[in-house]
Amino acid sequence: MASPFVEAQAERAPDVLARLPGAGLPWLDALRREQLEAFVREGLPGARNEAWKYTALRALERRAFLTGDAEAAARAVDISDFVLPGVDGPRLVFVHGVFRADLSSLDALPEGLRLHPLSQALVEDAEPLRFFLSRGGEQAADAFTRLNAALAGDGMVLRVAQGARIDAPVHLVQIGTPADEDLAWHARNIVELGEDASLTLIEHHVGTGPHKHLGTQVSDIVLHARAKLAWIGLQEAADGALLMRRDRVRLDANAHARVHAMELGGSLVRRELDAELRGEGARLDTRGVFLPGGRQHLDTRLDIRHVAKHTATDALWRGVADQRGRGVFHGAITVAEGADGADAALSNKNLLLSPHAEIDTQPVLEIYADEVMAAHGATVGQLDERALFYLRSRGLPAVAARTLLTLAFCRAALDDLDHEALCEHLGERLAERLPGGETAA
Amino acid sequence: MTAERSDNVATLRENNPEVVEALSRRYGAGFITDIETDSLPPGLNEDIIRALSALKEEPEWMTEWRLEAYRHWLTMPMPDWAKLKLSPIDFQAISYYAAPKNRPKSLDEVDPKLLETYDKLGVPLHERARLAGVAVDAVFDSVSVGTTFRKELAEAGVIFCSMSEAIKEHPELVREYLGTVVPTGDNYFAALNSAVFSDGSFVFIPKGVRCPMELSTYFRINAGHTGQFERTLIIAEDEAYVSYLEGCTAPMRDENQLHAAVVELVALEKASIKYSTVQNWYPGDENGVGGIYNFVTKRGDCRGDDSKISWTQVETGSAITWKYPSCVLRGDRSVGEFYSVALTHHHQQADTGTKMIHVGKGTRSKIVSKGISAGKSSNAYRGLVKVEKGAEGARNYTQCDSLLIGKTCGAHTFPYMEVKNSTAIVEHEATTSKISDDQLFYCRARGLDEENAVSMIVDGFCKQVFRELPMEFAVEAKKLLEVSLEGAVG
Repeated sequence: MASPFVEAQAERAPDVLARLPGAGLPWLDALRREQLEAFVREGLPGARNEAWKYTALRALERRAFLTGDAEAAARAVDISDFVLPGVDGPRLVFVHGVFRADLSSLDALPEGLRLHPLSQALVEDAEPLRFFLSRGGEQAADAFTRLNAALAGDGMVLRVAQGARIDAPVHLVQIGTPADEDLAWHARNIVELGEDASLTLIEHHVGTGPHKHLGTQVSDIVLHARAKLAWIGLQEAADGALLMRRDRVRLDANAHARVHAMELGGSLVRRELDAELRGEGARLDTRGVFLPGGRQHLDTRLDIRHVAKHTATDALWRGVADQRGRGVFHGAITVAEGADGADAALSNKNLLLSPHAEIDTQPVLEIYADEVMAAHGATVGQLDERALFYLRSRGLPAVAARTLLTLAFCRAALDDLDHEALCEHLGERLAERLPGGETAA
Repeated sequence: MTAERSDNVATLRENNPEVVEALSRRYGAGFITDIETDSLPPGLNEDIIRALSALKEEPEWMTEWRLEAYRHWLTMPMPDWAKLKLSPIDFQAISYYAAPKNRPKSLDEVDPKLLETYDKLGVPLHERARLAGVAVDAVFDSVSVGTTFRKELAEAGVIFCSMSEAIKEHPELVREYLGTVVPTGDNYFAALNSAVFSDGSFVFIPKGVRCPMELSTYFRINAGHTGQFERTLIIAEDEAYVSYLEGCTAPMRDENQLHAAVVELVALEKASIKYSTVQNWYPGDENGVGGIYNFVTKRGDCRGDDSKISWTQVETGSAITWKYPSCVLRGDRSVGEFYSVALTHHHQQADTGTKMIHVGKGTRSKIVSKGISAGKSSNAYRGLVKVEKGAEGARNYTQCDSLLIGKTCGAHTFPYMEVKNSTAIVEHEATTSKISDDQLFYCRARGLDEENAVSMIVDGFCKQVFRELPMEFAVEAKKLLEVSLEGAVG
């Protein structure tokens, strides 16, 4: 017996599929149908599924969402809702997963950068996307990636030509906004950096008013040899929003990805980052912070695979759980046979600020090679009482002292962020979210 | 290691039969004792369980307890989450009971062949026992063949006997505690064990007694096509203390024999139990043929305030080890410890770790796990630290280090941390690396050959755990590691 969630998606699917951008292309139609059938057949992962051990979907299973938003193009959104300081380059804005040309800025793109919505690419020339879009059925696929592969008709397609260095950061904005019904939207992004190319990408999830929509997003990111990507994610979805994202990153020889993430909003949010270091000398640095408060459930899942020789990972994530918030972190590093010279380090430190908050963390190492340096560490605890005492002895009120120390704890995740104005803004956003932050800031 | 050097070693092996012999000399306990046994026919059903229970002259409640566990077991699937490579186990092909035919009435009547076996294994059962000062319960296949030092222990009020005897002589204690730490339906192998367990040790330390000597059980699988399913129950009443050692060996056979034990520890107020294991079941040969499948459930329950349970294990044997000695820290300020060295070589697979469940206030736990993998083996630490809502001020520290010797082995770490109390502090650290060339070079420059150098480095790597072992065991453990690692370098 399918759950209300699956039923609602399946019931309206034929109608949705017929209207999706790209409908009518035989290979794409077949692929979408196949993925939809697999989704309906298997349903949502249950509590016994190890990958979903700490993120229960029982409540979601009982809810029904309306797929797609016919009024997405007309919904009122103010540009001030998402504009970021110092970020005024190319911009792609989606409301409920639908491209909004009126809010976007695609004029005068720098040389070497090709940037357009997936809906347009599918209509104009879908063939180059076939490789990426056909990747739905890989082994790690779950209900949400399948649903996304079946029903996503829009998203971002970004390509940087070989050797092109793009200075202005590209701003990708996904907006959720109040509607009469609970909506489900799906976005699919494709990012490809040619050899020696470099780019800064800002992925921004915004909620403009209360709603309980479900969004899914799947991104495929390919870094060819020596390409450099700085990728900053700021997730500040609406309090009631549900968001399921999977990012698949492939790094070729000597490619370098720096991934920063700040998880602030949403009620049930999961972000999976699957990275494969498959070229010699590839490197991934990731820093992130998640701040579940209220009744938020924020889940981050890193799956980093070292396949080639002399690859490196450095992951530093911080979590702060307050009120009834729950933070879930899974950081897996696999060093495959033959990936000698791998150097992998992962750290996840967490603070529990309330007696009702919970943190579940699981750092994992799987090592199949011997010339390896691998280490991970994870902690769950409280602020250092001695540090608090020190600050109070210098005249700081208790609340301010706590906020200051918590902020410092989180800011470690922003270290080495090159973009100064953005770094400052993110620091302010952090401070606002922390307990007592409004008064201290 | 350079390619040139490994070539040299290969040539050395070809031209030097002594080296070959040394390399294949590994499992010293692999002999078979030719002794007549009584055994039940292979197979598993309610009749077999009734027959087993009847053979052991058990009371009705015990038979029912077994049958209930068996019925539960039938409804359970074989767990597959540990991703072990194992050939399917045919539970109908195993004989669930094998015992030496001439059951002794006292230690003086023990079959000389049996004594010889334990002598070969270095286990003191007779006069040597007096010198060693350790009370031993020896379990041969399915039954206990003798327990030493009974008189001395009885004077102190300590009960140390086989489980079969305990069921007959102390049924009220067995009924009160059996299955309260590891319930019959706890997991697949615990359910199986509850249905068919044949013997094991029973220890009861009354209130305020500090057990005058170390207690020890020696398990030996001898008969072919059998499994060993022992059940150990240790109870330490208020302010009692006991240190318990467990050792195990089996002959070399091509078949995979099953060992599915359950160990339950109960520590009441201010009681302390120290449980040490040196596990040296037959690991299979260098091609992964044969060896013991070791699926064990060990759990300690710190029921009383200020109680303490400490697990120390050195795991060098078994084709597959699947074992998570755990502590349920229910009493306030109770303490759980887990010290482990797990070494795998050839095709061995070890998946071992612990669970520390913090329930009481101010509970503390410490985990130190050292994994060494060589050959084509796979060695995983899998652990859970759980802090329940009421565990104010709970504290955990976990350290897991893995050492890799060779390019084809795997070393994995799967820690789980679930924290529901904001005053708790949980810390986990893990590293994986190989023996560094610098370390090797230093030792070799001092005149040590490569094998000795590796052995010395491994010894240092494990020191933190060996320190926790009682003296006799520490010496044995160190030797075992050396033997198990032979042929791992080069």
